[in-house]
Amino acid sequence: MSSKLRAENRLDEKPMDIKEQKATQFVHRLLANPALQDQSPVQKEQQIRQFLKANGNQLYPTLSSNSFFPGYTWPQIQELLVRALGGVVDQTLSTQLKAALDKIDFGFISFLREQGLPVAKAPEALMEFQKNLLAKPEARQAIAGPLVAVQTQLPSRYIDQAFRRREYIYFELVKVQRLRMSKEEIKNLILASLLLKNSIHLLTVGHSGPQTVTGVVQKQFAEKVLQSLKGQLKVLPEALLRSGVHSNISFLENPNMETTSRLAAIFAFRCQNYRPVTRVDRGAVSPDKSWFNISRRNFKFYGFDIKLLDELYKIAGENGW
Amino acid sequence: MVENAKRNPVADLLESIVTVIIVLVIIQTFLEDFAVVQGWSQQRQRILLFTGFFFDLFFTVEFLVRLYNSMTRRAAAKYLFRERGWIDFLASVPLLMLSSGPPVLAYLFAETAILGFGGILNMLKLIKAIRIARILRLLRIVKIFRSIKYADSPMAQRHMARIITISTTIIVFCFAGYSILGEAVPTVGVDSSAHAVEQHLTAKIEESDAETVRDDLGILGEYASIIRRGGETMHARYDTSYYRENFQVGDYALKRRGETEVIFDRRIIMEALAKSRAWQNLFFFGVVVLMIMVYLVFYSPHFALTVSDPIHVMYRGLSERDYNLEVKIPEPYAEDDVFRLADAYNEVFLPLKDRTQEVEAPEQSELKLDDIKDILD
Repeated sequence: MSSKLRAENRLDEKPMDIKEQKATQFVHRLLANPALQDQSPVQKEQQIRQFLKANGNQLYPTLSSNSFFPGYTWPQIQELLVRALGGVVDQTLSTQLKAALDKIDFGFISFLREQGLPVAKAPEALMEFQKNLLAKPEARQAIAGPLVAVQTQLPSRYIDQAFRRREYIYFELVKVQRLRMSKEEIKNLILASLLLKNSIHLLTVGHSGPQTVTGVVQKQFAEKVLQSLKGQLKVLPEALLRSGVHSNISFLENPNMETTSRLAAIFAFRCQNYRPVTRVDRGAVSPDKSWFNISRRNFKFYGFDIKLLDELYKIAGENGW
Repeated sequence: MVENAKRNPVADLLESIVTVIIVLVIIQTFLEDFAVVQGWSQQRQRILLFTGFFFDLFFTVEFLVRLYNSMTRRAAAKYLFRERGWIDFLASVPLLMLSSGPPVLAYLFAETAILGFGGILNMLKLIKAIRIARILRLLRIVKIFRSIKYADSPMAQRHMARIITISTTIIVFCFAGYSILGEAVPTVGVDSSAHAVEQHLTAKIEESDAETVRDDLGILGEYASIIRRGGETMHARYDTSYYRENFQVGDYALKRRGETEVIFDRRIIMEALAKSRAWQNLFFFGVVVLMIMVYLVFYSPHFALTVSDPIHVMYRGLSERDYNLEVKIPEPYAEDDVFRLADAYNEVFLPLKDRTQEVEAPEQSELKLDDIKDILD
């Protein structure tokens, strides 16, 4: 699978002219700047876009010199740089997405009572789907948290603890959602749901879609997306697609939504600004525990399941996370 | 943490040198008394005496430079009273004048004092002054807290420095008061007993004829080390070079009666007295060091836990967009003002900040023009 995708990527590559090369080099150096080192590729992209927008007057004299883009106006230079930036970030996202998909074992599909689906084709299909979807800025923005969650395996740590405790999270996954599969397969289902969370932007146009600032959508809209998704991702089981799409709806308005969706929603938000190397100040609560407590106060705002947050908060506290 | 303003590297280097010397002087202060208790050789004790003199001179110069510098900035009062210049003063000038200076001068001019029979210095009075002034050396321990950045928080550092200054100063002044009171109240101590005996012996020698003095002194000849009458040396137990090598200030006492001058060898008495004082000094040194250690080990972490750390966390949360860590609230201190504020920060401010961040995208990039100077140059 991976080698085929790499081959396709190579076919997509076109020779760059000198201006594009210069723009790409410039963008690479901006992306490597230490001021942005803790940020995800999408966050870096946003920061650089804002930087270019805010500092045009100061940057133009240098960037219009012979060393860079002589004879270009500032809007032309900005467009060139933004395009180069998008290209570089696309490549990075593509690499990260591949790495994330490699971490997921799609074997859980066999336990979702939808027989006959080709499990081996699932990662490839998801990769292709995301490549198209990530052309939308809002979808790129929405993939940042899920990607970090999968890369850091954050959900796995919590699910391990939840299965050890056998309290609310375990009960909801096993008894309410009735997932007849092992703990490892449930973890993979949550990770795969995370990578489908941004599919909610399949039907949005620009930033004028139905979503709110928290990314929560109405169930009716989610159902429309689900229908469309079923048509595009036939190799993936409906239960997985539903779990991914429903991670964008509010639990408060949909108390019967899947536990995997509720968990995916929480973990995606948790990882949106995740800093794995953050040094915890003396006198401060650990990062995860702080985040879950703040989210407990804001659970209505984000549409989270407060009981899930309570247990995740306890797990974070018990483990010093 | 707020970054300090740009600092002068030369000033930083000088501050580092001063810090090293403060540490050395504390060790020297301890060793000077320890040497007496352990009966180290006169040569070693003399090295320590001269080292102490050098340190006193150094701190006197340091104080004068700081004072001059503050005066040029018209901030002498601020330096003396708010920046603990008074500690610098007490731990330098009086020590040079009363503690290390006189013995060094006396040593350098010892030959004149003994052999010339001038009796210029009243050694006993001098030693009493030294005994009180030496206590001020303990104040130098306080000076170290200005130089070493041992805490992250300037507030914690200032509070610790102040509480240590107050406690140490109280101990030093109590000790000094006790010593002064001890001198003021007449007691039959070793000094006064020796003085009475020496007066009596001098009178006896004055009454004796010259032959008896030369030939029949017996055991008195060991105590009455040099006897002169009418400018003529009638008895000298040792030669001049021996006195120069082995006698320090306070090791002898000069008594006069009529034409007779007697120098008594007080080394055994002085050794006992010096040991007693050295033990006393070491005790107070130990008290001050123990007190500071207790403050640093027990009080400093408590101050950090209950005051400076929660304030630091709240400050970061209030000033940095992406800093969302809560303040840890220890159960026993939950009702403290700081932690009631921290509770509001955790329960009200941070959730509100989190919601606001979701609504408002950051308007400013974290990337600044200064960050890419190397690319643009």
